[in-house]
Amino acid sequence: MAENFEPKIVAFLCKWCSSAGSDLAGVSRMQYPPNVIPIQVMCSGSVSPLYIFDAFNKGADGVLVSGCHPGDCHYIKGNFYARRRIALVKNLLEFIGLEPSRFQMSWVSAAEGKKYTQIISDFVEQLKPLGPQTKLRRNQ
Amino acid sequence: MINVEDLRKEAKRILKEGKVKYVIGYERDQNGLLPKPAFIKDPDDVDRMIWDPTCIHNLTKFLVDEKKRKAAEKKPDERPVGIVVKGCDSRAIVVLLQEKYIDREDVHILGLSCENYGVIDEKKLAKKLKGKKAEKIELDDHGNFVITAAGGTIKIPADELLAERCLECPANFPVVYDLLLGDKKKKKVDEPFKSLEKMESLSENERWSFWTEQLSKCIRCYACRSACPMCYCDECVVDTINFAVTADTTATEKAGKIKWVEKSPAPSENFVYHMVRAMHLAGRCIDCGECERVCPLDIPLRFLNKKLEKEAKKLFGYMAGFDPDEPSLVSSFKDEDPEDFIR
Repeated sequence: MAENFEPKIVAFLCKWCSSAGSDLAGVSRMQYPPNVIPIQVMCSGSVSPLYIFDAFNKGADGVLVSGCHPGDCHYIKGNFYARRRIALVKNLLEFIGLEPSRFQMSWVSAAEGKKYTQIISDFVEQLKPLGPQTKLRRNQ
Repeated sequence: MINVEDLRKEAKRILKEGKVKYVIGYERDQNGLLPKPAFIKDPDDVDRMIWDPTCIHNLTKFLVDEKKRKAAEKKPDERPVGIVVKGCDSRAIVVLLQEKYIDREDVHILGLSCENYGVIDEKKLAKKLKGKKAEKIELDDHGNFVITAAGGTIKIPADELLAERCLECPANFPVVYDLLLGDKKKKKVDEPFKSLEKMESLSENERWSFWTEQLSKCIRCYACRSACPMCYCDECVVDTINFAVTADTTATEKAGKIKWVEKSPAPSENFVYHMVRAMHLAGRCIDCGECERVCPLDIPLRFLNKKLEKEAKKLFGYMAGFDPDEPSLVSSFKDEDPEDFIR
């Protein structure tokens, strides 16, 4: 079971950078694991903590929030707000006992297709030994 | 020491002069030791007001109720409301002011300093008394609570009886007030997050089993939400609003009514509810302990809020409830905010 386990990752990608970065990875035909469910958001600052909890609640094995590098936000300061908020979410999730590596944040610009593939590959590698996320998952 | 007569005198004065609509304070309940909130309109009624270490409630919730009531009235009485506050309660008022939920003119604050100590914890008291009923609790000059119970008096050192939050209080005197009674002296707190340490020293799996055990108990009565002075949203994200989906219902309308959290008190849903509540109180919770006090299942909810309070202080140097002009925690940022967790 464990070796065949394919984790399901929900990725909240900023429309202006990370989403374009993942697009670049796609059109450049870079190889990366197909475990990601990308969700385009207008800004990493628009990702409510509720989205993250809800993704785990509805069966995500890992959640990624990805936005623009500090200073590059399309809305000037959205990613700075995100940075604060996500730091709190991460600490809270660890406090209640979720594995810390299940939730990650990254800065990926529209030109960093390579970095995006790297982040996803590493994330999948980290999640595989952990097995399915059952802690916050809603019982079906 | 605070003389309760001074408080009554001031309450009487502002009521007589018509400066306030009414005064919210504490009065003795017929049934037992703990006081109940008193709403005093008549200047002659001020003798009902009391002040002692059993005044554990945070009355600022009633300011939120007052605002909602006022909004519904056609010709509201625009005078302020008088309110009795302790240190922690005054910080709740600061947060409400900071968020522009109430105006400073809406409230006349009668501040009482806890003077080095604080209020009791009713559960600790019940344990000490072993079933006896306390009639009166007073603080003596040597830092002991003197309890009058059936068959004499008992002396207990204050630290054994004080509420956990009082032992970790960052300021045991009001930070905003119109009248201040008592000394503005600060008790030294060496370890403001001591209660968290035990939790944090546990392993990941131990923490998980602790919270699973605790949050599985939750029956989702929402008492924590009702008692919290910061939970004032008209629409709460955990309330499912049923609405009819017809052929004309647009996608936008459906998207606006997402059912984020199921109503059923399943552990997974309880986790989402309590984590969302903790996040919504990040940088706002002033640790009045009401959520934990009202919880019928004794879930240690205070830990969740305290944890985020600690992180806010550690990571961003932010403390809630001290400066009404400061931007709130999640609506501000600094260039040097930590980002070592981001790839």
